[in-house]
Amino acid sequence: MLNAVAAGLIIGCLYGLMCIGLGLIFGIMKIVNFAQGELLMLGMYVSVYLVGGFAAIGIFGPIVAPFVAAVLAGPVLFGGGMLLHRFLLSRVSGLTTAARLDQGAFGQLIVTLGISLILQNGGLIVFGSTPQSVLTPLSARAFILGPFPGDALLFLNQARVFACVVAILVAVALWLVMERTRLGKALRAAADNPVAATYMGIDVDRAYRIAFGLGAGITAIAGGLMATYLSFTPFVGLDYVIIMYSGVVLGGMGSILGAFWGGLTVGFVQQVSALVLPPQLQNAAIFVVFLLIVGLRPQGLFGRSAERA
Amino acid sequence: MRVGGANRLRRDAIALAIVTVGYAGFAATVHNSYYQLMLTLVPIWAVLGLSWNMMSGMSGLVSFGHASFFGIGAYVVTLALVYWHLTPWLGIPLGMVAGAVAAVLIGLPTFRLRGHYFALSMLAYPLALLYVMEYLGFQEVPLPMHRDHPALFLQFVDPLPTTLVALGVFVLAMIAGMLVENTRFGLALLAIRQNELAAEAAGLDTWKWKMRALIGSGAIAAAAGGLYACVLLVVTPDSVFGVIVSAQALVVTLFGGVATVWGPVIGAAILIPLAETLNAKLGNIVPGIQGVVYGVAIIAIMLASPEGLFWTIRDRFFRAAPAAPMPAPGSLRIAPGTGTLLAVSGLSKSFGGLRAVQDVSFSVQAGEILGIIGPNGAGKTTLFNLLNGVLAADTGSAKLDGQELRGRKVHAISRLGVGRTFQVVRSFPRLPVLDNVIVGAYGAGTDDDAAAATAAAALEAVGLADRARLPAGQLTNKELRLMELARALAGSPRLLLLDETLAGLGRDECDAVLDVLRRLRAQGMTIVIIEHTMHAMLRLADRFVVLDHGRVLAEGPPRAVIEDKAVIEAYLGSKFLARQNA
Amino acid sequence: MLEIRDLAVAYGGLRALSGVSLSVAPGQFVTVVGPNGAGKTTLFKTICGIVPQAGGTVTWDGASLLARPASARAHLGIAHVPEGRQVFATLTVRENLEMGAYPPAGRAAWARTIDRIHTLFPILAERAGQMAGTLSGGEQQMLAIGRGLASAPRLLMLDEPSMGLAPAVTEAIFERIAQIHKEDGLAILLVEQRVAEALELSDHGYVLETGRIVLEGPYQTLLADDRVRRSYLGLGDE
Repeated sequence: MLNAVAAGLIIGCLYGLMCIGLGLIFGIMKIVNFAQGELLMLGMYVSVYLVGGFAAIGIFGPIVAPFVAAVLAGPVLFGGGMLLHRFLLSRVSGLTTAARLDQGAFGQLIVTLGISLILQNGGLIVFGSTPQSVLTPLSARAFILGPFPGDALLFLNQARVFACVVAILVAVALWLVMERTRLGKALRAAADNPVAATYMGIDVDRAYRIAFGLGAGITAIAGGLMATYLSFTPFVGLDYVIIMYSGVVLGGMGSILGAFWGGLTVGFVQQVSALVLPPQLQNAAIFVVFLLIVGLRPQGLFGRSAERA
Repeated sequence: MRVGGANRLRRDAIALAIVTVGYAGFAATVHNSYYQLMLTLVPIWAVLGLSWNMMSGMSGLVSFGHASFFGIGAYVVTLALVYWHLTPWLGIPLGMVAGAVAAVLIGLPTFRLRGHYFALSMLAYPLALLYVMEYLGFQEVPLPMHRDHPALFLQFVDPLPTTLVALGVFVLAMIAGMLVENTRFGLALLAIRQNELAAEAAGLDTWKWKMRALIGSGAIAAAAGGLYACVLLVVTPDSVFGVIVSAQALVVTLFGGVATVWGPVIGAAILIPLAETLNAKLGNIVPGIQGVVYGVAIIAIMLASPEGLFWTIRDRFFRAAPAAPMPAPGSLRIAPGTGTLLAVSGLSKSFGGLRAVQDVSFSVQAGEILGIIGPNGAGKTTLFNLLNGVLAADTGSAKLDGQELRGRKVHAISRLGVGRTFQVVRSFPRLPVLDNVIVGAYGAGTDDDAAAATAAAALEAVGLADRARLPAGQLTNKELRLMELARALAGSPRLLLLDETLAGLGRDECDAVLDVLRRLRAQGMTIVIIEHTMHAMLRLADRFVVLDHGRVLAEGPPRAVIEDKAVIEAYLGSKFLARQNA
Repeated sequence: MLEIRDLAVAYGGLRALSGVSLSVAPGQFVTVVGPNGAGKTTLFKTICGIVPQAGGTVTWDGASLLARPASARAHLGIAHVPEGRQVFATLTVRENLEMGAYPPAGRAAWARTIDRIHTLFPILAERAGQMAGTLSGGEQQMLAIGRGLASAPRLLMLDEPSMGLAPAVTEAIFERIAQIHKEDGLAILLVEQRVAEALELSDHGYVLETGRIVLEGPYQTLLADDRVRRSYLGLGDE
């Protein structure tokens, strides 16, 4: 019980970070990005290769290296995300298609599906299909807390605990950037009202590009962190893209904090449902909770109602 | 049948016959079993695309979860065969029933959601089903072999008959799709896609049409899934409930073109062989390369043709089909009434702390034109929204000829005889003006011919008869306004609510619309109009109701109202009268 | 300073503006009036680069604006207070003003302009930490104007600042606009439906109808014109 709750919170923080990445893209640009899972996957692989690189030149040591690598996967995918947006997504989304029928939503769906396919299969070619993981000595160690009332002991996987701490730090850092800096405010302004933002002299296309890059980078960091405790193949994105959407929709689109809480909820439900449900139904539980919440509160669990006409 | 639907249907039927015979003939010449399988898969995926198109392509409500229906069809056929030895000839129809039932169960909660929320929620259903199937132990269910009765169990040794069966199902799905497209069903869905609220205001029960579309779509997708199980002879949760299946439905349709039955056909005919060939030719050499090439291909074509191949090809190489003959105009039913037509009393509505409409009471006499004026944000449009059911009033009542309007749905109020136009006109630009107007006549519950005749009469009444066959996208602002007026008239309303019908019109255009409105009044129509253009209002309205901050500030004949101190203060400005008298 | 010659704009095949010529000199107060939908907002959007022009020229300080993307035009000293206010509802009042000061000139002058904005509209100082979406219509309009001023512009373009506001608030807003014009020497281009009030404030006026300038001149001339009186002041015939 206690262990499941703790695991739920820890996994939840990682999911929360992952969801923030998607939330940035979905919330600011209203793009339904099917390739977000592949960005997570790329984050994992970038992290693997960086850890390999660090080991080869003998820096950081086996304990710190995976976390440095995970954080560095962020900037790498930030650049990659900006390029993707610049050359593909900006042509089927944003201001250019606002006037088109259905806001060009159909074209944008196909393009992100295409990107997803290319990255998955390109990943297969480049990385191979053998499951990989980032090994850290922490993966096999646990913090043991307790005994709690009822003689319960709490086992916490150390790799996950550190990953969770890094995830929270990154989320807080991003939150500070969005709340406090001129760039962050400009991004929020562009999301709030792109036309008015243009009147203020904000280059909205560029803002969208940066937002997409940030979204890609944040999800990649989450991927890098998750790589420390699970093994993955180039198709790992498929498993998580749905979880990410559940989290973002739950949290209410367009809010960073909401996305984090949404992701946390999903991770928590997933882990805690293991207590009562067979493992196969854990993910089904997420969707049932998801449908319930969306049905009851269409603006999202943590979203503000925008009902004022 | 829609206007011109019979002609389109005949043309499409001929094209379908040619395609089917050609395809069957081609399939007969192929003997490589791998390519024969591919030839069977093309119609199956086309059927799934047709199913998706019927729901999402036509109505604009994107579903990411058509795998639900596909998978249900596949599992029903498989499990019925395993447990009851039920032939797929009965299993597929049974699966379709299950698909239709699933559509109702899914539609009931999900239609409450809008936009992205709808799309993403649809995604959750197949995934939940996928995990449930795994849990129930149906990870990999082979279909029991009945090679002794190949025709009965669809297990032919020679793949050609299987291809022909798939082709048969495809033809049936095409016919269903073409019937939807060319009847009021399709027009209703297109109207929902262009503007759900306007469709509802025109009297369409949009919820019912969406539900019908989803039921039809679910049944067709289930048929595709059932057939798929028979062809592959094994089902797994991933292969029938997976995200890839839902994606496939989207991809073949969007690639080929939405809102036309030919879209999924074109998409499936190009993409399925492309994917399979890539898989066979390149996949063995470099695993994964086929996915990359496929991804690049769909992105490239989407960038070149964002609305799908069908529309791009049609726009570039074909002139639009000859327009359907104009139906003979019938007569507009304008029933001149007497006495008080609309009685509004104590109507209020708040949004959070903002009291948008407060305790508003007024009445409208039959045959008069009542002008509602007041500053922007005074609650005029909110008042209209309360009257025609877009918003629910907090308190008060509004009675049309004694019948309470409050508590009724938008389409029901429309059917009672309240026509409405909106501040922002949204038309379906590809559809002819006549079709745009017919939507209004359907709402009134008339049959197809009568609807067409009424629509033609309404167009004549507003002076747009000569524009009836043009696509709405080619109209001027004034003509669009008149078209919307005609759509409201086509519903044979007793009361017209016009929201800034004169907005954006020049003086001459404005005069032309005023003439139309005066003619309608002469025929006995009752009109309530919101308008800012005071000079027009002074010439048009019989009486004014002035709203300010959600309250009725003044009411009465125009001259008396514009001399009212409170009105001058709130709306006209203190200098209005001085200038008036200068 | 701002010079428009023979401007034409087409919206999806429809001519929204044609042959529009207009100019604003430094420190001048120019008003464009006309009925709803005559093309006033389109004119503003074209000046700001949101809507592409189909013909004619728009120059700023003698240089063409045509090649300048929309977002770059704010950096030239053109501030646009859009129709319907369009404040950033999910940002605070203070953040809205900071966004107004996004161009370098605005940032350089920030300390001075924020004081000036707070002097003009003390309510904005009181509400600094509040979400802009929670302000009343009048306060939002003040914020929108303040946001325009924050960029330290040379031209302030105001699109229907009276929209949806109670007369008393409208009056206060118009007073502030006049004050900004007089005390800061800022050039102002105002679009209004409230013809009389708007024309009275201005040095020079234009009447726009169905996308064309049908009349122009000093405000006294316009107010005395029969067509204006009939069409826009609701006076005259009948």
